[in-house]
Amino acid sequence: MWFPDWPLRPLSGQPPLPPDEPYQAVGADNRVAAFNPAAEAAGVVLGMARREAEGVCPAVTTIVRDLGAEAAAFEPVARAVEDLVPRIELAEPGLLFVPVTGAVRYYGGEGSLVELLNKEVEVVAGPGGRFGLAAGPFAARMAAELAVNDPHIVADDAAFVESLDLSAVAPDELVATFRWLGITTLGELARLPRPAVLSRFGPEGLTAHRLASGEDRAAMTRPIPDDLAVEERFSPSLESLEQAAFVARALSVRLIEELARYGAMPHRVEVEGESSTGVVRNRVWRSADPFGDTELAERVRWQLGSWVEGEGITGGLVRLRLAPADLSDEGRQLALHEDAVALAEAQRSLLRAQSLAGPDAVLASQPQGGRDPADQVLWRRWGEEASPVRDATAPWPGRLPGPAPALVPTQPPALDVEWEEGTPTRVRLGSRWEPILSWAGPWRRMGKWWEGEGHCDRYQLVTSAGAFLVEVAADGARLTGVYD
Amino acid sequence: MGSMPASDGLLALEPGRVVGLTGSVGTGMTRLGLSLMAEASRRGPVAFVDVRGWLCPLSAWESGIEPDRLAVVRCPDPGRWPKVVAALLEGIPAVYAEVPTGVSDALLRRLGALARNRRRSLLLRPLRGSLPSGLTHLRLEGQGIEWEGVGDGHGRLLGRRLLVEASGKATGGIPRLIEIEGGEDGADAVRVVPRLAPAAVVGSAATAAG
Repeated sequence: MWFPDWPLRPLSGQPPLPPDEPYQAVGADNRVAAFNPAAEAAGVVLGMARREAEGVCPAVTTIVRDLGAEAAAFEPVARAVEDLVPRIELAEPGLLFVPVTGAVRYYGGEGSLVELLNKEVEVVAGPGGRFGLAAGPFAARMAAELAVNDPHIVADDAAFVESLDLSAVAPDELVATFRWLGITTLGELARLPRPAVLSRFGPEGLTAHRLASGEDRAAMTRPIPDDLAVEERFSPSLESLEQAAFVARALSVRLIEELARYGAMPHRVEVEGESSTGVVRNRVWRSADPFGDTELAERVRWQLGSWVEGEGITGGLVRLRLAPADLSDEGRQLALHEDAVALAEAQRSLLRAQSLAGPDAVLASQPQGGRDPADQVLWRRWGEEASPVRDATAPWPGRLPGPAPALVPTQPPALDVEWEEGTPTRVRLGSRWEPILSWAGPWRRMGKWWEGEGHCDRYQLVTSAGAFLVEVAADGARLTGVYD
Repeated sequence: MGSMPASDGLLALEPGRVVGLTGSVGTGMTRLGLSLMAEASRRGPVAFVDVRGWLCPLSAWESGIEPDRLAVVRCPDPGRWPKVVAALLEGIPAVYAEVPTGVSDALLRRLGALARNRRRSLLLRPLRGSLPSGLTHLRLEGQGIEWEGVGDGHGRLLGRRLLVEASGKATGGIPRLIEIEGGEDGADAVRVVPRLAPAAVVGSAATAAG
């Protein structure tokens, strides 16, 4: 079941989006994840870069996805489906998989089951859900894409898959290679001998070949111990979502690390939480690509958030359990076994540092747009995702040129600078006056004059003790960077 | 100012070795340390322990460190600092740590031993003072820095020439003067500056003049 416009759904308390105006939602990678019909009519396509979409449809309003909120909003829908058919699996907010073999018999046929699901889901979430039914999850997902007005039931997976476009099974470069070699349909790909495809195109080609042949992921051949679940109990119970999120990361790292020792990575993980009142909730999350610890931790966090916001878990969390299923050794091709263990070790180190120095003290960063070096960095807690508020690739008039200063004081101290007819001649560093050997500037930064902010001029000053970035405003000069 | 040329044996991080970076703020040693970590960042996370909270990651990215591999750990408290660095050394192959005042020599030596034990590269930049003797395998001290591109109110910072004295066991006990020159558009050029004995300099100058 797929809600393609889930990212655009209004969250609780918000009015629905006006249908005549174009809207699109972008993910953290700044690519289009969803769009409404008005945007689609203008030519916006899934996966397009944000800038490209804005070029094709200048009137579009772009919403940045908040996956945690989307997951919380999707939880009632997941529960509605779960009430009819147990053991559902979530892939992401808006997309869930339902194993229907038993339910089909119980509800009297595929058609009746899908109709019933459609009805129940519509009560909770309104129209817009697309239902695809097939023997395997990949075909079902592709069928859901086609199920625009009515559910799409696939009779024969292999025949259905053959009719799909190459881009459904392989990344762009591989598709281009296939086409260049004369392979244009999935049927042609499936007819190639598999060992040849594997040796020529590697693991990506193997996956594409399997999918093209109507198979889904291969099961693991290597024997592994039965119970590889990780669990942790908390006393006293965890009260805040933040604490729970921290624990979610620790457990996820542990689970992935354990599995990595066997060269395995999970495609499904069951998340189970128990509250202090004894209520137990669980949910299975699945992923087409094997879960890494970051992706898994993210989903556990969304799930805990959804349970807390709904009335799932009250009174604090006393137990959290993660159980893997559907393992593959694709992990071996994505990263060598030893590398996977080393990476998990590194993550554990950072988690430990976080618990010693505080969760806000271990940070990751990424570029974003801005005029000054400090503005061009978007900080986030290590292990969490953030999306840039300002586009890093857009031009920023007034941006400071040159290399970035390595050190930017958090509270720019006042600086004594002597001027002679508009030329800076010397600057006081500590107790010494240093003559300025050369300098450049000013680069003017206009302040937010509508808020009463004045402008300031930035200068690069070079002394024999080093080069400094200095900002001069009405109230004097400040040191805003050291080119160390 | 880009990444370090990998061919230079002296300016490279080795697992299990401690590198000391000394020199007052402004001598370009932060960037130098960051560029030494670029290679390690291609294989996994690297950590920067920031005592003052001043590090601007832009300069790290410009020095060749992969943006999503850089973990910045803010730890101003000298009491907690040794435990935080120890935790990082357990699992992170390359750690750059500013050293706050108030950390004892004994604790620093223990961290050095941990780095050797776990085969991690540790770069230490004391904010004040110096590092205890025998701790570092390689000591890099900023001797001077010259910037190019900027004139009398025109241009902008384009490139710099950095003079660094390398000493310690890594240089066989003989201090060497290294010049690192580079701009935005590529890797730095590194050369060892031959040191002339004072007498020879005077002699040749006299010959040239006469």
